[in-house]
Amino acid sequence: MFKKSYPLQSKSEILLRNIVVAVMVVFFSVFLIAPIVIAFAGSFHEWNPLSGTYRFLGLENYKNVFTSQLFGTSMINTVIFSVVVIIFRVGLGLGIACAINSVLIKHKSFFRAVYYMPVVTPMVAVAFVWKFMYNPQIGVINQILGTSINWLKDPNLALPAVIVMTIWKDFGYAVVMYMAGLYSLPMDVMEAAKVDGASSWQNFRYITLPLLKPMTLFVVITSIISYIQAYVQILIMTEGGPGTATYLASYIIYDEAFVKYNFGYASALSFVLFVITAVFTWLSFRVSGTES
Amino acid sequence: MKRKISSIGLNVFLLVLGLVTVYPFIWMLSSSFKQNKEIMALEQHLLPQQFIIENYINMNAHFNFIRFFGNSLLITLVTTVLVLYTSTICGFVLSKYKFKGRDLLFGFVLSTMMIPWCVTIIPKYSMIQAFGWMDSYAALIIPAAFSGFGIFMMKQHIASIPDEIIEAARIDGANEFYIFHKIIFPMAKNGISSIAIFQFLWAWEDYLWPYLVINSQEKQLLAVGLKMFNGQYSTDYGALFAATTISIIPVLIIYLFFQKRFIAGIAASAVKG
Repeated sequence: MFKKSYPLQSKSEILLRNIVVAVMVVFFSVFLIAPIVIAFAGSFHEWNPLSGTYRFLGLENYKNVFTSQLFGTSMINTVIFSVVVIIFRVGLGLGIACAINSVLIKHKSFFRAVYYMPVVTPMVAVAFVWKFMYNPQIGVINQILGTSINWLKDPNLALPAVIVMTIWKDFGYAVVMYMAGLYSLPMDVMEAAKVDGASSWQNFRYITLPLLKPMTLFVVITSIISYIQAYVQILIMTEGGPGTATYLASYIIYDEAFVKYNFGYASALSFVLFVITAVFTWLSFRVSGTES
Repeated sequence: MKRKISSIGLNVFLLVLGLVTVYPFIWMLSSSFKQNKEIMALEQHLLPQQFIIENYINMNAHFNFIRFFGNSLLITLVTTVLVLYTSTICGFVLSKYKFKGRDLLFGFVLSTMMIPWCVTIIPKYSMIQAFGWMDSYAALIIPAAFSGFGIFMMKQHIASIPDEIIEAARIDGANEFYIFHKIIFPMAKNGISSIAIFQFLWAWEDYLWPYLVINSQEKQLLAVGLKMFNGQYSTDYGALFAATTISIIPVLIIYLFFQKRFIAGIAASAVKG
């Protein structure tokens, strides 16, 4: 058989390609590249749209970011928040996915659908429901525990309360991801190990777990990116309080930009956060790369 | 015997976890049919002792909630359909056409997913003001027309459609527009379903952007309305529960409707990605 030669590119192919590429380039230039450039330039200025100020400051905004105590506190909160949520997300996700995947479970798609429900529920609504659940008067959590704790107003409990709510909202995503990962594992390897007399724990520890590593990396990286940007639950549930106990990095940016209208300072904060996101993403690639 | 016990144990474990997962939804729904005095009562019952629907009726009396709901539904449907179309066509071009700069363009699309919202939102807000789009739905729809995530997902999906199908259609004399609309689009259903759910959810739950660019109350969307409502009637718990319930229902319907394809779609692209 010889390979037939087709005209490589038809007229309509070139036309469609040109339209699509042109529209894409224009769109992303206007709504992504231009804003990044404007924000970067703005981060070196005192920029307040209410008073109409746009004055060059040099590195002043960045200096203020790194000397700001609130930013330091918020970064610590963000790290605690992200690390705890990611550990639970990965742990619960992996454990539940393995349990559902077990031959002992019949209604796999039912469980999968149930655990995924919070993931597809709007964050604003979920945050309200949990705010009521934590309420000392009407809250169901105090009723179940038989306590009357004001969870979201206690400096030691507010951040854990937000963390618990976020774990509840997000663990289903990891369940579905790990189920997809388990589904695509090579069955012959598992069978061979079983024939060789591997216990189910050995099977899990030395075959399943290493093969799921790319999925774990995927879940961890997407989680890092999204948790560094999390602010809606804070806005609805605590507004950063009590005191600064639940200030997350992204919430400060919201606060500085759209409550105080310090656009320049907020832009500097955004770029710092962007760099931190990139570094953490790179680190997770590194850590997973050196292990294997 | 041992197998039976561990089977029951595992099922019970998953059921209990499932109950914890859905409990907040049940509690919310049930509370929305309770009177305020029952919600506040010392002795609590999960189901309403006296079943009322006044919360849903009163809610709209002191706040035009149905209006917010309608606006949100319109904007969410329009942006979702738009994103589904643009993602699929960009995914098609990026996966099936070979041209100079293609990988660079795709790499760029991928990198857009890593950029935090906070970096671009301030300039975008200033641009919307400069364009004169404030308080118009153009501000909500046009900047959301393309999605890096959507393009990435669709490129992964369409890559798995065999080239031979496209070649065969070309030999039969089909032009590329026909091939895309009549062959690729229907074959990419799983991918489209998974983006549909995510995009619908993201557009539906977006709070900050509509809060910034929409000023008049009759144009405002549900997420912003919900927060305003909460600020003004923060003691009318029954109505708050009713409002929250209403804001969750459409996404759950979309999810349950697309659920099967959605999971297949998301799984396929994650495994490949």
